[in-house]
Amino acid sequence: MSEVLRRHAEQQYAEELGALLDSDDRPRPPSWKLSPWAVKTYLLGGTLPGGFAIAPKYIGNARLIEIAIATLATDRALLLLGVPGTAKSWVSEHLSAAISGDSTLLVQGTAGTDESALRYGWNYARLLAEGPSMAALVPSPIFRAMQDGKIARVEELTRVGSDVQDALITILSEKTLPIPELNSEVQARQGFNVVATANSRDRGVNELSSALQRRFNIVVLPVPVDLAQELEIVSRRIAEIGRALPLPVEKPALEEIRRVVTIFRELRNGATEDGKTRLKSPSGTLSSAEAISVVNHGLAVAAYFGDGMLRAGDIAAGLTGAVVKDPVQDRVVWLEYLKTIVKEREGWKDLYRACMDVLE
Amino acid sequence: MTERVHVFGIRHHGPGSARALGTALDALLPDVILVEGPPDADELVGFVGHEQLRPPVALLVYPPEDPGRGVFYPFAVFSPEWQALSWAAAHRVPARFMDLPQAMQLASEGAEREARSADPLEALARAAGYDDPEQWWEHAIEQRLEPAGLFAGLLEAMAALRAGAPDPGLRERQREAYMRRSIRVALKEGFERIAVVCGAWHAPALADPGPAKADDALLKGLARTKVETTWIPWTHSRLSFRSGYGAGVGSPGWYAHLWTVPDRAPIRWVTQAAQLLRGEDLDASPASIIETVRLAEALAALRDRPMAGLSELRDATLSILCGGEAAALQLIHDRLEIGESLGEVPADAPAVPLQRDLEAHQRSLRLRPSSEIRELDLDLRKENDRERSRLLHRLRLLGIDWGQPLEAMGKTGTFHELWRLQWDPQMALSVVEASVFGQTVESAATAAAQKKSDGEQELPALAALLDLCILAELDGAVLRVLARIQEQAALHSGAAHLMSAMLPLARAARYGDVRGTPKERVLPVLEGLFERVLIALPAASASLDDEAAAQMLEAMDRVEEALRLAGREDWRREWLEVLASLTGKDSVHGLLRGRFVRVRHDSGTLDEGGLHAASRFALSTAVPAAQAAAWLTGLLRGGAVSLLHEDGVWRALDRWLRELTPEVFDEAVPLVRRAFSTFQGPELRAMGEKVKRFGSEGAETRSVETEEEIDAQRADRVLPVLAHLLGSRHA
Repeated sequence: MSEVLRRHAEQQYAEELGALLDSDDRPRPPSWKLSPWAVKTYLLGGTLPGGFAIAPKYIGNARLIEIAIATLATDRALLLLGVPGTAKSWVSEHLSAAISGDSTLLVQGTAGTDESALRYGWNYARLLAEGPSMAALVPSPIFRAMQDGKIARVEELTRVGSDVQDALITILSEKTLPIPELNSEVQARQGFNVVATANSRDRGVNELSSALQRRFNIVVLPVPVDLAQELEIVSRRIAEIGRALPLPVEKPALEEIRRVVTIFRELRNGATEDGKTRLKSPSGTLSSAEAISVVNHGLAVAAYFGDGMLRAGDIAAGLTGAVVKDPVQDRVVWLEYLKTIVKEREGWKDLYRACMDVLE
Repeated sequence: MTERVHVFGIRHHGPGSARALGTALDALLPDVILVEGPPDADELVGFVGHEQLRPPVALLVYPPEDPGRGVFYPFAVFSPEWQALSWAAAHRVPARFMDLPQAMQLASEGAEREARSADPLEALARAAGYDDPEQWWEHAIEQRLEPAGLFAGLLEAMAALRAGAPDPGLRERQREAYMRRSIRVALKEGFERIAVVCGAWHAPALADPGPAKADDALLKGLARTKVETTWIPWTHSRLSFRSGYGAGVGSPGWYAHLWTVPDRAPIRWVTQAAQLLRGEDLDASPASIIETVRLAEALAALRDRPMAGLSELRDATLSILCGGEAAALQLIHDRLEIGESLGEVPADAPAVPLQRDLEAHQRSLRLRPSSEIRELDLDLRKENDRERSRLLHRLRLLGIDWGQPLEAMGKTGTFHELWRLQWDPQMALSVVEASVFGQTVESAATAAAQKKSDGEQELPALAALLDLCILAELDGAVLRVLARIQEQAALHSGAAHLMSAMLPLARAARYGDVRGTPKERVLPVLEGLFERVLIALPAASASLDDEAAAQMLEAMDRVEEALRLAGREDWRREWLEVLASLTGKDSVHGLLRGRFVRVRHDSGTLDEGGLHAASRFALSTAVPAAQAAAWLTGLLRGGAVSLLHEDGVWRALDRWLRELTPEVFDEAVPLVRRAFSTFQGPELRAMGEKVKRFGSEGAETRSVETEEEIDAQRADRVLPVLAHLLGSRHA
């Protein structure tokens, strides 16, 4: 087991789940491994009566997790929305691990996802040899979740084509999956539910039909609330990646990371950190993950083409590329930001000049 | 003797308390009701029950010489105090206020209420496992539909809390002493069932009035000042302010809802929210309503609460009805949770301080209201006239259109203002309505302008508002509007809007000194706008149709004007640089490019040779005729006079025309005709004259050669007829 790169949540946190199970004395919805209250403790962290400490899985607004759990408890499907890097999949994995004890019933949504990924496919060799039968049918993760009364996960729902998405409607409203070939159907057992995630920036790619949207309760996971929290996330990740990818460069100055994170936050939030000036937001996401890659890119530039120290000039190109996704609109936004904010800010002159050089 | 006194501890503006109080009063049938409130306003209690006094309203107690220090006691329909007063009015039982009179509170220096160090309810809420005391009160008290035992239980809880609380300040003790004294007076008058309605915190102190001696000592020697009182209309949104009772309500709309619909409040609430959303063309199906209520109830269970409260409903609504959209939830918050209901006050209630303040101004400025129309010419260099103008502008901001500004004709606009004055009796009502904003014309106008600017998104409207605020000399409002302009300028990318907002700002910076608006505050905002214009202009002037180009041209004229007023050479240079970069771009409409060239030429950055080259390029045969004509129109724009006196443009065009080959000339004629068609007859004639003059100065002139001799004999034959036509005799 130890050579596995990443273990499933229910394996990694088996001890916590076991402790919760032991101390959980509150009513459970049918087929739930834990009561909603215990699920909440599992996700938000806490200390059990015996003194066992549960690590928080989601740091942020507790109300959102409460809404998510209450949604699943009322038998409604849950749609987690958010820009990339807001822990949507992470939350969905841990919710299924805590509720069903199984986070593996997963469908990854892509433009190529077809209906058989959501419903069922066929083992064609058997189909030809034996004719249609239950044994020749290849169940999808959702199919199996229905049979077992578990939570099925659909990642990146909005990437799936609209016609395929709509296959979920019957499953979610009737809780059955017809198999016309066998003149049969699967009826979901109690405990079955769906947790889907979608990128709110891509909403327009394959917008959910209103019929499907109506079947989901929507929880929007926000970006990190404050600079300190985000700075912590970004610098920790950079340190981790730096280890994996040995670059002959000094550890980046926290100050440089702070500048990148500040710029990302300000543009994303449409206001300066001091809340005094409103700003336009560019069309890109500017997630924490992108901030990480801008700094990493800067580190590589500094290592191979610079003097080994991360300087304003090393990150200017990456920064500009991350902000200016649309050559017309975003350029205006970025120029305005540079001229009205960066230029005036104490000690940021080097960055201003470097970025203006890139633009010209 | 204390069994004659019945204390009802309530929460100010708590619908649950109000309902419980109503039931308790029905059971008790008191013969007098004492309410925590200013006794100064006792005579105004008689208005309760008047059908034109509709909550939300507020009692206003103010010192007449300084209305700005006035204190409000707001009442909503769900306020227990209002219900107590209404109950008394309906049962014809006397009702009185019993708090320490504001006459005494306002008399002492630093009349600010000493803030209690900590919320007394916080400890109770913490004990019950809530972080927010408001929410705890709502769950434990307000949502209880069974009021039995509520007041006794509260009294006990508060007594326990008070025992552990730090000593209240002097003012608190004086207030409670006065309340006890009021109760004693009622007892002495022989009332049998005295209902005392006060904030829950005070209840234990009033349960037994006890001997008078200690209280008298506390109240001894308190000075009194003269105060006046009146009812003024109030709004739900202002209920959320802290004032009077020191208690504000976060969501008055929700409380009003709890008060008006006794049962199934969550279901009705979500249904109302759904209807609101549908009214805004957002989807909200009945199935979603059901799911929202279910989710709210599940959330309440998960949070160990007996029933879904506002926060659960809010979360559930966001997740289902609003589909995760925070904007839709904000709509529900503004329109439903707060709501914009406006109270009403009878016409015969005492005059509001704003009215008094206005009258004082009218007297001191010798500007009497009259229903006759008259015109007023104000010379702003005179102190009195300036103050008159200021007053009229402030009233306009308050929606009291006593004076209408007229365009000053003939005289210089900076120093003169023309007004048409007419006082309409209806305006008295506007004054009462405006008193919601403040007690003096100045403070009310400031607040009104600030509110208006907060709700305004469009830059041109904000710029106009800024103009008005500067004219009204409202420094506080000017700052707010400036901040809003800065904010909106950052959000809006519409270059035309940005450009048209520059002019009022530039005017403010230039002429602000006449009105005393500091230039230093305006200039940074103007600079920010200008920089954004420079950035946005290239994108905004590309791919425009004829109409949009014409609008853009006008916006440009305003920027030019603003730059002229601002008088900043560096800005002008940057502006010309941007224009220069745009003159060669084909995506820019011809009209604009022509104008750019002209502006650059007029400013001296483009010499005659350059102008000539640009003309030749822009008017080449390869250029589509419509674009070329538009270019020429743009170039010639700005009136005939400047063209007649400006030889440069003339010479460049002349040179271009002369260089044309006959074939190309034929094609160019319609273009030129079209471009010149905007000028009037006399202007064209003057231009014709100029052409002639130019011709004689010009190095070479091509004249039509007349080869044939005149046949005098044949010509002579015409003369008699011609003479006849002209009415003269032929010699």
